[in-house]
Amino acid sequence: MKRKQSGEILSPTAKLARAVLAAVLIVYTLTTVFVIGITLLDSLKTKGDLVSNFVGLPRALSFESYRKILIEDIFLKYFKNSIVLTVCGTAGCTFIAALTAYGISRYDFKGKSFLTAYFLVGMMVPVQVSVLPLFLILKKIGLLNKLPGMILVYMAGISMACFIFQKFFKTIPVALEESARLDGAGDFTIFFRIVLPVCKPVIVTMALITAIQEWNDFYMPMVLLGNKNVKTLTLAIYQYISQFTRYMSESMAAVIITLIPIIILYFVFSSQIVEGLTGGAVKG
Amino acid sequence: MGNLKKKKHILFIAPGFILYTIFIILPIFYVFYLSVFEWSGLGEMKFIGLENFRTLFFNERMAPTMFNALKNNLKYLLCVWLIITPFQYLIAYLLYIKIPAYNYIKFMIFMPYVISSAIVSFFATLLFDPNIGFLNKIFEWLGHPEWQSAWFGDPDRAFKLMIVLIIWQGAGSGIMIFYSNLMDISRDIMDSCRIDGCNEWQRFFRILLPLSLPSCASIITMSTIWALAIFDMPFILGGANGGVNGCLDFANMVFYRYTFGSGLNGKSNLGFGASICVLMFVIMLFVTVLQNKFLSKFEYDM
Repeated sequence: MKRKQSGEILSPTAKLARAVLAAVLIVYTLTTVFVIGITLLDSLKTKGDLVSNFVGLPRALSFESYRKILIEDIFLKYFKNSIVLTVCGTAGCTFIAALTAYGISRYDFKGKSFLTAYFLVGMMVPVQVSVLPLFLILKKIGLLNKLPGMILVYMAGISMACFIFQKFFKTIPVALEESARLDGAGDFTIFFRIVLPVCKPVIVTMALITAIQEWNDFYMPMVLLGNKNVKTLTLAIYQYISQFTRYMSESMAAVIITLIPIIILYFVFSSQIVEGLTGGAVKG
Repeated sequence: MGNLKKKKHILFIAPGFILYTIFIILPIFYVFYLSVFEWSGLGEMKFIGLENFRTLFFNERMAPTMFNALKNNLKYLLCVWLIITPFQYLIAYLLYIKIPAYNYIKFMIFMPYVISSAIVSFFATLLFDPNIGFLNKIFEWLGHPEWQSAWFGDPDRAFKLMIVLIIWQGAGSGIMIFYSNLMDISRDIMDSCRIDGCNEWQRFFRILLPLSLPSCASIITMSTIWALAIFDMPFILGGANGGVNGCLDFANMVFYRYTFGSGLNGKSNLGFGASICVLMFVIMLFVTVLQNKFLSKFEYDM
């Protein structure tokens, strides 16, 4: 996708304008570095140091705030909950979406176009509208305030992934699958041995996008996971910052611990994340 | 083989279909159903027709809250259309013309997208907290205490600040989508436009904008829907009651308060909560249809 600038010669004013705009944007992006940096520094201060010296280098390095949330609070538990939810939810959602999309796009049957449209509805209706029924349904089947219930809800949200997979299956030729079929391979063998490996890049991008959303999700866990034992990281952070002056140093450490995995993920996979978001993974 | 092939698709589709139907489609119908009942969540459901909606619009305690929230939703939607989306498009264009350091800018501007709203609100507290916040400290240090402000405690400022935070966090996704749509415009068109000697303004307004707009329609639709469902940011920033004087109150928060909170008149009524959801749903549908009518005017035959 590398493209050279169209070769036009820019006037000095245009050049200057571009440089100025770039400078403004660079300053704007530095706010991100700044706030994360401040939080990191503050998380390494003792409580006394933090109150008197909110902005600035720590007088002495201290891991007191980390010790507090990891040992005195059950922060590791929240961390584990977030990991379990995100990993299971993402894996389930991506896998089911791939299955469904494959079933719809590779077979001919009545109601095919209806199903395609049917699976798109979820993209148009935000969960906020249906959270109350979800609450009641999960309560009915005894999965309210339990991780498996939340995971099921995540696994059901396949609209976006299903749409992307369908688009992708249209771009890969059926010839490979047909020849495997002639060799006597069954439908599921073909799906697992041939189709899934070909899908790997799409699976990775879809999984990344889904994982980020689930890791950061705030509203659904707040409503559907009311019990302290099943709290997620974002809920724990919310709890700290709603009593910010009391839990100042704890919230710094909590934010840093929650940020680290996601920032690492971003540094490693930023182009895949962008591709997944823009649908670039399936473009020609 | 044809016969066998016909049956197998069911095995592929069934798991997704069942889960999706139970957890995504069923709730939509369920919420409509609930909205005509009075029900505390336990015991008998009492059918009351459209009474819940009447309360929503005409109850003297409820109506002002609801209309204030809807007004804020509308205000936010206008911000999405008139400020956030054009801003995203502009940045996408700047990246497209490869301003200096565009790779770095692209990387950094998208980064906050992966940070959760809870943490973004935390950063907001760091900067804007009236007592310990960074900005007020800086103003004091600079010797301009009169620049200090209550920030989110100030109803005139809270909404604007929230928009800034939302741009900081969420603009990246739209920028990337607009950017990739711009990159998809055929090279030939750009070449012939250069050969014909059109200037940068002409190229932007006559070629790039009209050619990329149709593919942007879906993202604009999505952001409209999400704008009407906004919850996380105002909830964390302004608290469950929607900030000072309800300046950060939105339909979804009203729903949350009256459904999972204390309820109207101290009486829990899930049907009433459901009626707020139905109202949101209808508004979303209405705005989306209207907007698509408007956007389809711009469609070009490619």
